[in-house]
Amino acid sequence: MSKSIFSKIICCCLILSVVQFAQAQKGKFDFSEEKNVYNQIADVPVLTKDGTQKLSVLYSRSPLIVALIFTRCTGICSPLLLNLSEQISHLHTDPKENFKVLVISFDPRDQFEDMARMAKQYARENDPNWIFAVTPQISELTSSLAFNPVWDEDRQQLDHEALLSGINTDGYVTKNLIGLRDQQAIYSLIKSINNEFILSYPLPGNNNFLSCFSYDPSTGKKSWSWGMFLLVLPAIIAAGIVTILVNQKKTLHHN
Amino acid sequence: MINLSLKRVTSVWIIAILVVFVITAIFGITMRFNQGGDIELSPVTFFSLMTAHGVTMVGIWSVAGMMAVNYLMARYVKVSTAVNVFALVLTVIGLVMLWTSTFVGYFHAGWTFLYPLPFFVAWESWATPLFLYSIAIFGIGWTVWTVAMLMQIYKKYSLAQSFAWQHFKRGYLVETPPFILITTVSLIGILICLITAVILLVLLFAEYYSNGTFTNDALLIKNLTYFFGHTIINEALYLGVATLYELFPEVSGRPKFKTTWYVALAWNCTLVFVLTAFFHHLYMDFVQPVGLQLVGQFASYFASLPSAAVTVFSIVILVYKNPIKWSLTNTLFFIGVIGWIIGGFGAVIDATISNNFVLHNTLWVPAHFHTYNAMGNVLFSLAFFYWVANEFAGTKVVPRSEKLRIGLLLIGGFGFVLMFYIAGAYSIPRRYSVYPDELALGRNLASYGGWFATIYVIAILLFLGEIVNKCLKVFSPRSSAAA
Amino acid sequence: MSLQPKLLLIFLFTAGAIAITAWFIYSTSKLSSQEHGGMENPLRKRFTAFIILFALSAVFLSITIPKSPYFRFSGENPSHVVFIAAKQYNFIMSNQAIDPKKPGGGEDIVIPADELVEFRVTSLDVNHGFGIYDSRGEIVAQTQAMPGYVNRLRWRFITPGHYNIFCLEYCGNAHSFMRGSLTVTEAAAEK
Repeated sequence: MSKSIFSKIICCCLILSVVQFAQAQKGKFDFSEEKNVYNQIADVPVLTKDGTQKLSVLYSRSPLIVALIFTRCTGICSPLLLNLSEQISHLHTDPKENFKVLVISFDPRDQFEDMARMAKQYARENDPNWIFAVTPQISELTSSLAFNPVWDEDRQQLDHEALLSGINTDGYVTKNLIGLRDQQAIYSLIKSINNEFILSYPLPGNNNFLSCFSYDPSTGKKSWSWGMFLLVLPAIIAAGIVTILVNQKKTLHHN
Repeated sequence: MINLSLKRVTSVWIIAILVVFVITAIFGITMRFNQGGDIELSPVTFFSLMTAHGVTMVGIWSVAGMMAVNYLMARYVKVSTAVNVFALVLTVIGLVMLWTSTFVGYFHAGWTFLYPLPFFVAWESWATPLFLYSIAIFGIGWTVWTVAMLMQIYKKYSLAQSFAWQHFKRGYLVETPPFILITTVSLIGILICLITAVILLVLLFAEYYSNGTFTNDALLIKNLTYFFGHTIINEALYLGVATLYELFPEVSGRPKFKTTWYVALAWNCTLVFVLTAFFHHLYMDFVQPVGLQLVGQFASYFASLPSAAVTVFSIVILVYKNPIKWSLTNTLFFIGVIGWIIGGFGAVIDATISNNFVLHNTLWVPAHFHTYNAMGNVLFSLAFFYWVANEFAGTKVVPRSEKLRIGLLLIGGFGFVLMFYIAGAYSIPRRYSVYPDELALGRNLASYGGWFATIYVIAILLFLGEIVNKCLKVFSPRSSAAA
Repeated sequence: MSLQPKLLLIFLFTAGAIAITAWFIYSTSKLSSQEHGGMENPLRKRFTAFIILFALSAVFLSITIPKSPYFRFSGENPSHVVFIAAKQYNFIMSNQAIDPKKPGGGEDIVIPADELVEFRVTSLDVNHGFGIYDSRGEIVAQTQAMPGYVNRLRWRFITPGHYNIFCLEYCGNAHSFMRGSLTVTEAAAEK
């Protein structure tokens, strides 16, 4: 009986010691991210520093993370880009997983010069992986992404979600992210636009620190989490018990 | 040494197991007849029966293996009768609690009590903790028993000897009997899955008593549940195999089986693979990483292969063209081996991920595990019961209604599981109290299955009468005097 | 012939072969009178049998693993997404993402044949199974619905018709009555 109490104590200690991890695991998943997945993005003409070209020319070269912003935004646009830029700079992606970030304005007042200025602000004007662009066909683009900004007359601002859409090389939306998201989410977006099929994804839980697996953004692999340790623990405890038993005093037997 | 107290506690075990087995088998037959439309139960009654049937069957055939191994182990090492009795008492208490929770409290979350179903209370609210405590009581009794048996093994054998590692080299001094090797491997496996059960119960109780501040991860709990559930029933079968290694040559009048390097290797492999094979229960949980799914298929293939191949071939060599003394004991062992490999083959088919995609949670699953339990493990234990009862009674084994019993067992047993296999191949889901009209074929098959199972139980009853009678002899005053 | 009847035939054939072999071995023992008959070269035969079994297993593994459902259709773009939230005791199915807090009632699902569809399956309470049955009552595809996770099952329906969904994980006393359905229409004309 002492053994079973022993393992219970170990478990309790384990649970207590990992409680602090609970806070870090709060998910920000929004079910509306699942709107419009696998729709095709509208093939609108876009003006970049390389001149006007079809959007399909861009995404057929490499998959895109599309960030819809406008330069006069006083709200979420700038934190969205800053966060994306920050998260990407810390990613150690697989060289096979290429992607470009397309920052495109949905405000008709924005000219290409505004976007070029913005590129400079974020020190991405010479980064080949960041494309800043405007398009004359804004409504076609936004409706294909189910992105519906609303004009707020009082604030003279466009009210909108902080949306990142992942577009694969066939032009399909494979995944959306809403809000300022962590490295793990950004990485899963990059994987999805590279057509890596991830069989399952978690919904946010109250505390899932005892889950089996968690994403490691630096490798993109699912790594063992505390829960997985609990699957190995019984073997370790049993090995401990057997070690104790083996080292007991041997007695001579007569059959 | 085998003394009178060991004989007596073994007798009590045997009588209890057989009686509980027949009752629990009747639960199962009732379920089949309900699915067949021959009788009409409420879904709650059906699933209460299903829950009780599952846990009780897994429980009694695990302890049947433990108890048989405990008895035969006394030939090699000292065993503790006190711990044996302790395990018996806790098993009985656990069983009473279990049946109270299922039949008085109507707890019906299935024998796997898959989280979070036990907490979606559709029964008396006290039934959930009572059920979980009954599992805990079983767990405590069996853990102590397992550790006590391992302790006795390690009083005599070193770690290397218990795993027969010296057989990998030439010129060893001590031979590890196959019985000790298989028992050690199985007991360690059982210890690991009992510890898993403890962790599982701690997590469930933590949620139960936390009033919603702590919730578990469904994937983790599912892994833990099947780690425990799959492994314990698998190891129970191996305990049965251990008794076969010990008794089959003996009752056949042939020299004892010897441990060789490949016997040692096979059982060492089994210990490792059997602990990772449970991943095959999660094939359809796409959230489980693909790597572990593949480990599941690999381990499922190689958990059964070495031990089954070595055992089957040992039996074949012993029997082929050898005029051995056939009795009910070794006939039961022989049929048990056939049931084991046929069920094992059904298991391997289902443990293949691409097949599991269309077989998962159909009646194919109960088909294969009933084959290697009802026609494998149960027969191993029954062979032991029959042999030991005759030992107790001091009688020679007299063939009485031998052909009738074996005939009923074969027709009843294999007919019963065949209905499951056909239903599984026709996509009839498992754990349905009744079948929808689209799956009406399941009804007929269930009804036939119920009748075949009845024949099987009649065969068991024919054994039960004789075995119980002979087991009771150890309680007679003459028996005490002789001791 | 679909996979299930093939598996049943393979199983019955093998089980029959095992039973006949066992009967044969048993009768050699019954008929044998001479002591020390037995098998010649048993050790070598055992070794050979072991190698054959091992090789067979390796062949089965290498054939079946690539057919695992996880790897199917993974590089393709689905043309439909169907969201499924299972709960005691029905399947909420929708072409739109389902809000777990306000799941709503769902809608009828119609899918054209020959087009890739992705089912995003989750559960709002206990574990359920999402089993798709064709009009003959045979399982064509399935995945589990686990609370807290969304499983993605991709499938291409070939035959148009009515498909039933049955729950394939025990989920409580009305488990046998938990069902849903979807319709597969004739393949859309060439685009």
